[in-house]
Amino acid sequence: MKYSQKVLDHFMHPHNIGKLELPDAKATEGSPACGDQVSMYLKVNEDSKVIEDIKFQSYGCASNIATASIITDMAKGKTLDEAKKLTWKQAADELDGLPPAKMHCSVLAVDTLRKAIKDYEIKHNLASEDEFKKTTIVEELKHIIYPKVGEDIVSLKMVKYVGFENGVATVDIEIPKFDQYRQNVADEIREHLEKYDAIKKVEINM
Amino acid sequence: MKKPIYLNNCLTSKPAPEVIEAMLPYWQEKFYFPENFMSQGTQIESDIEKYKQVVADSINAKPDEIHFTTGGTSANNLAIKGYLMANSHKGNHIICSRVDYPDLLTNAAFFEKSGFEVTYLDADEEGFIDLKQLQQAIKPETIMFMTTWANHTTGTLQPIEQISKILQKADHKIAFHVDAGQAYGKVPINVEEMKIDLLSVSAHKIHGPVGIGAMYVRQGIKLAPTKHGINRIDEYETGGINIGLIAGFAKAVELNFSNFNENNAKLRQLSDYLLKKIEATIPYTLLNGPRGDKRAPHNVNISFRYIEGEAIMMMLDAAGIIVATGSACFSKGLSPNYILMAIGRNHEESHGSMKFTLSRYNTKEEIDYTVEKLAEIVSELRKRSPLYKEEK
Repeated sequence: MKYSQKVLDHFMHPHNIGKLELPDAKATEGSPACGDQVSMYLKVNEDSKVIEDIKFQSYGCASNIATASIITDMAKGKTLDEAKKLTWKQAADELDGLPPAKMHCSVLAVDTLRKAIKDYEIKHNLASEDEFKKTTIVEELKHIIYPKVGEDIVSLKMVKYVGFENGVATVDIEIPKFDQYRQNVADEIREHLEKYDAIKKVEINM
Repeated sequence: MKKPIYLNNCLTSKPAPEVIEAMLPYWQEKFYFPENFMSQGTQIESDIEKYKQVVADSINAKPDEIHFTTGGTSANNLAIKGYLMANSHKGNHIICSRVDYPDLLTNAAFFEKSGFEVTYLDADEEGFIDLKQLQQAIKPETIMFMTTWANHTTGTLQPIEQISKILQKADHKIAFHVDAGQAYGKVPINVEEMKIDLLSVSAHKIHGPVGIGAMYVRQGIKLAPTKHGINRIDEYETGGINIGLIAGFAKAVELNFSNFNENNAKLRQLSDYLLKKIEATIPYTLLNGPRGDKRAPHNVNISFRYIEGEAIMMMLDAAGIIVATGSACFSKGLSPNYILMAIGRNHEESHGSMKFTLSRYNTKEEIDYTVEKLAEIVSELRKRSPLYKEEK
């Protein structure tokens, strides 16, 4: 397994690193427990809705820093609506690819960007907080990458059942007993779902 | 200064030039297998006996008690599987700990599935196994205790003599298997005095070649064969064994043990120097494992708070320095290091852990350069980290 030269370049010399004083919007995704966390800060033109400046900070590995660097490059100068449409696959392609086990870094970078945009929209009454529904869980699971192949667990049809009742989210996952990423996938599901206030408990059946 | 600076000697170490030289004849003019009565075959036979003696002397064993294997993992497998299969009629309980080397833990898990009961002892925050738990865990069905002498992550040296006394006090025989992969060549080993029954060692951790190791089996200990086949060189490691590697192994042992005390005192001095210099130069660090002589002399494992280890490792790599990390991002299963978690470190401390393992080839100049680069890297990554500023 090897990083592309572009990943290494962005890791060694990241673009847009740091913090913005008085940002118009900001967001933090991930957690130290899961090994990576990214914070992003936006400066947005109120009239044109163009992202005029964007900065990030990262607690994470080389690909985490590189994906945050590239996604902030890609978002800069775009309108919020354009930036929202950036995908983790585009970010990974722009870096000349990422190893499958590192694809989740790309997802995290894009999620942080989208959350920062949402933060701006809520502050400016352009959007409201999403109402929590059972489908929110499915949408969230689409952000969890199975490290062996670098695709999300929903597209891979690993998710067999999703339930939500009385604050308990139930997720049935099909994953081999001796799969080396079993624990990792379970940890990721917990991390992604436990951030919702509506979810009091996460039950994972494998 | 020559690059790269290699500080990952617990993974594997550079073969000594003398080792390479010792191996070559067996791949050129001395390519024969041992055989009775014939001139070339008997010459090889007596060479192997000589090499066996070298390894036996290094741990105070008899040559007949030494069996060459294709590495440390092979030796561990032979010891554990061989003993348990030959002695299962005496009991079905084994004891090890949560901080053992994967060879031991994967074997334990295998036997657990095959009907054995396994007690996994806990370790304290420095990585020492709980001896009280060991005493309490012993029961009539217990037939084996196994441990990893020098921990491959934290360098913690388990108190082998104390453990041995506990096992001796039991009112029935409990075989004592020691994985000495990291301890061999670094701490004095006396299987006779320490009453060790089975012990595994590996050549490539002490500047020998990869692909050869040895298993010590105390006289009178019964093992079932785990690798059936023709006895060419060893009754347990059947089939051909690369005799050049045996010669290289013996040479590595000679070199390592010829100045044993002096070499290891120097190694400890250099590790201590590295540790002290890191602690004096870089704030917010945390040593993993014990200090002083309860730690293997070549190991420094330290966590850098607020940042992640793979990033540190990659930047050190770019500076020509090779080290290891316990970060989940670098592990095969994307999980934090199990040893560090077992001794009570949290995820963040495990992710930020770096392991430096030294050898007799490292110099003070290399250590100075390493700490200089490390300080720059840690400072740069902390500047990038949202955690650092939040807590400061």
